[in-house]
Formats: sequence, structure tokens, C-alpha cells
Amino acid sequence: MDKLTIAMPKGRIFEEAYELLVKAGFDLPEELDDSRKLIVEAPNEGFRFILSKPMDVPVYVEHGVADIGIAGKDVLLEQARDVHELLDLEISRCYIATAGLPDTKMDEMTPRIATKYPDIASQFFRSRGEQVEIIELNGSIELAPMIGLAERIVDIVSTGKTLKENGLVEYDKITDITSRLIANPVSYRLKQKRIDEIVERLRK
Amino acid sequence: MTIQMFEKPLGMRDDFPSIVKRKSKLSKVGIKIMEQFGYEMLQTPSLEYYETIGKISAIADNQLFKLLDNQGQTLVLRPDMTSPIARVAASKLLKEKMPVRLGYYSNVFRAQLREGGRPAEFEQMGVELIGDESLYADAEVILLATEILRGLNVGSGRIVIGHTQLLQQVLRGYGLDDALAEKLRAEMVAKNKVAYENMVDNLVDDTAAKNSLKLIMNTTRLEDWEQWIDQTDTVQQSLYEDMRKLKTLLDRNGLADFVTYDLSFTSHMTYYTGMVFEIYGEGSGFPLGNGGRYDGLMKQFGLHVGATGFGLRVDRLLEAMPAEQENTEQTLILFNEENEENAHIEANKLRKAGERVTLQFASAVKAQEEFSSLFSKVIRMDGEENG
Repeated sequence: MDKLTIAMPKGRIFEEAYELLVKAGFDLPEELDDSRKLIVEAPNEGFRFILSKPMDVPVYVEHGVADIGIAGKDVLLEQARDVHELLDLEISRCYIATAGLPDTKMDEMTPRIATKYPDIASQFFRSRGEQVEIIELNGSIELAPMIGLAERIVDIVSTGKTLKENGLVEYDKITDITSRLIANPVSYRLKQKRIDEIVERLRK
Repeated sequence: MTIQMFEKPLGMRDDFPSIVKRKSKLSKVGIKIMEQFGYEMLQTPSLEYYETIGKISAIADNQLFKLLDNQGQTLVLRPDMTSPIARVAASKLLKEKMPVRLGYYSNVFRAQLREGGRPAEFEQMGVELIGDESLYADAEVILLATEILRGLNVGSGRIVIGHTQLLQQVLRGYGLDDALAEKLRAEMVAKNKVAYENMVDNLVDDTAAKNSLKLIMNTTRLEDWEQWIDQTDTVQQSLYEDMRKLKTLLDRNGLADFVTYDLSFTSHMTYYTGMVFEIYGEGSGFPLGNGGRYDGLMKQFGLHVGATGFGLRVDRLLEAMPAEQENTEQTLILFNEENEENAHIEANKLRKAGERVTLQFASAVKAQEEFSSLFSKVIRMDGEENG
């Protein structure tokens, strides 16, 4: 049996996704104790897991070094890579929204927007015909309105707790996010039977 | 922005000797097979008018390299070969000779939108069979494409075949209007099952219709298609019948195990009007090439004939081709002034015998030891001993 390489996001999503695979009856090693490992084998199923940053999963899959992968829709929207989206795994549910300090209006000329998702943010404001200046940050986005860097942020919201703790309120919901099973277009065709079977088992 | 001396424009590449060697071998094999199938090689200009080729080619506007000529006309670097060949075929020259079989091996230019690492100039080879609307023409180009892959020893390939017109008819059968069908088609092109299924759920009320629409994405065998074919619709019937004949033909040529028939497979290139296909091979994460029937394109050049063809990406074929042990034997003759004439005679003798010989004036080489180590055999004719 050909080995199937699966790119998985490290961290919280990994555990949820792994559990999903186990629930679907895949025979995987019980514990992945060494969390620093980057490659984990599941010999009984012929799987090889690549553990990577969530943002990098679609990169591995697009280039075909991973046949399939699990990626958040936020990352897929932001990067628009050439991969097939096969199944909504309905895990890691959250949404992307705009937020800012309560009762504030955006500057009429060019309000500044801080975000980890410059493409999603720019598309959203363009679709509403608003001209904005996008400021790309790599983390702690909530800081931006608090210290006057930006009037709004565009970020992931799951419970809203982080926003609240930092005294921010949500303004517009942009889109719902869940994790998706994605496939490289060539791998999908060369290993279609196996990949389709995985999709069907996860669907249940 | 300052540009460093060694920099190249975005997406442009230097090909080093080992790649050039492999490419030249690849083109030789490819062109020979195309010619064996009766195709004649054609070359078209690098520059074309934006008004004609630029607009007709299916390549997105923001991927075109545009420039102005000295009369103020907008030109494009050719983004594909299919439309220039259609232009040539529609010209007076070839009109009387239909059906005409043309092949090409050319570079094309497409500006990259993301990631500088992707090539913006790359070679394609392929054929266009113009003036034949039969399924035999479709079968011929698929067989020719697979023959080229076989000639290049590309392993474990797969071809996916769909039919754009049949798919359109089937979608229409659900009572979907064209705009809606187009939206569903776009998700089929991206193979975004999640978006497709959500869209079907939102747009279609009838449960049975919903389920059968969703299943279109799962077809892999031609027999699977049958349940979507309206037995009372003669157009659908005859298109499906053509596909069956095509399959018989391909099966007979040993392709039975290599073809996936996916009713939902279609192309973002809107000029395709019939059978469409894409080719994959182990070793490259990207499709090796694609093709199909494009009767609509010829009409834009005022010619009402059918056409079918394919294009293969040379850079991806190189990835999928097995790395083979190249014969890298290279002889070096180092000579001095005194032995110059003899060195030439010796070199020519060896070259005639098929050896690759580098003739080098010894004193011109500063680091003789390092330089000599690049060669498999060194003959000293500079008065020094052979080491």
C-alpha cells in the first residue's frame, strides 16, 4: 500500500482532528508523546503525519509533498491556494469578525485595520466600498485598537472572551470558519479511491 | 528599489546545462512522436496583439505581460499556444487543407500573481487537430498525449476525462438557470466539495435532486454517468454514446486502467465545448497537462470547424521523468603552443569516435588541478606528465 502523507496543524486543532480520525476507526498510535516530532508514522494505516504550523498546511498540500491535510477555512480563504476542499470536518468552529473599542466610528478618510488576515480584511472592506489601510500583524491583534494603532481589527472569534477581556466589541461578522479536509489535485487523482474512502468514513 | 546585477525579472529563470540537456532530450522525444502521428511543427511569434490573442486566450488579464509597440498598439507576450495556432489555422494558408494537424514546442508567458518562485515563462508542447469534429479526433489526441508520456518514461500516470457540454446539459436538466449552473460549475472546477454541497443545499429544494446533484462529484467510471443521462433527450444520448465509443477506443489501446471518467470534471477555460481531460503523473504535485475539444474558439476567428488538442508543461514533465544516469564522460586535452596542431588532430579524432572533447590552452587556466577535476579523462599535450 502506498504511503499517504497527511499534513496536520500543530496545537489545538491537531488533537481535535486526531480524535476525529480515531473515532472514524483508523488504527493510529495511541499517544504522540513527543510533541516536538515533526513526522509521525501510523504504520497500521500506512499514514505519515507531517506536523506543521496551521498556516503552512495548504502550502505542503499545494506542492504535493503532503497528499491531504487539515486546514482552517480562515487559512484557505487568506491564501487561496490550488487545493481541493473535500470535507467540512466541523471542528474548531469559530468566525472572522471586525472588532474595535465600543461606540467608536471609523475614520471617514482611511481607517486603519490591523489583522493577521490582510487578504480577507481587504476583500471585506472593498466589497463594502470602503477605503482602508491594512496593517498586518502576527499576533496579539487586540492590542492595536487599545494603543491607537488601528481603529478596527479583523480576527478570529471563537468565544468572544479575548475581545471582552481587552475591552473590545464585535462590529461585523465576516464569515464562519471550520476546519476542512483538503487534498492536492494530483494526489487526489492518483490515490482517489483511498482518499474518497477516508472522506466517507469521516463524514459519518 | 535597487536591482542587484545578478537579478532577473519576477518569475524568469536561467536554465543551467543539466536542465538544458534534459529539456533537449525531452523535446526530441516529444517532437518525434508528434511527427510520427502526422503532426507538423509550427512556430508562432512571441508577441501578439492584445486585441486578438490577448483577449481570446483563456488566460486571465492580470496574468498577461503587456507592452506597447512603436505605433501605440498594445501587445502581449503569448500566454498560450492554442489561440495563436487557431489564428494560423483560420488564415487562408491552411483553410483548404482541413483537417489539419499542427504541433508545437514553445515557451509561453504568464505573470505570476503570488510567490516569486513560480516560473512566469515556461515551455509547453502539444498539438491541435483542427477541422475534425468526430470522437476519433478526440481519441487521437488523448492517445498521442499518453504516447508522449510513455516515451518519456513518466510512471504511474492518470487521465481524468469529463465533458463540458454534457455536464451543462445535465445541470440544465435540474431546471437550474445558466447563472446558477455557472456558479456550481465554478466549484466543480476548484473541486471544492464543501462549497458545492452547501450551494446545492441552499439552491435546490427537492431532496432527490439535491442528493443526485451532490453525487455528480463522486463519479469515476463512465457507467456512473448513466444515471444522469436523460433517456428522452437525444442530445444527451448522443453525447453519452460518443463518450462510450471514446472509452472503447481508449480501452482497446491499453488505457482502461489509467482513465477516470468524472462527469463533474470541467475546466476554467470557457472555450472548451466537449470532451476535456487532464493528465497527472507521480513525481509532480501539479498536473502535467490538459486538453480538450474547443469548437468555440475557432468561431472567434471566423472559422466554423471543430478542433481538439492538448498542451503539456515541460517543467512538470521534467519533475515526473525518472532521473537517469546520463553519460557525462568528458575528455580534456590541455595543450601548449608547441603541440597545438597535434592537439587539434587528436581532438577531432576522438570527437569523430563519439567522445566529447574539450580543447583547452593550458596556460589560460589558472587553477589547473580544480579545472581538470571536472573531467573524466585528461590528456596532457602541454609538455607535462599525465597525472
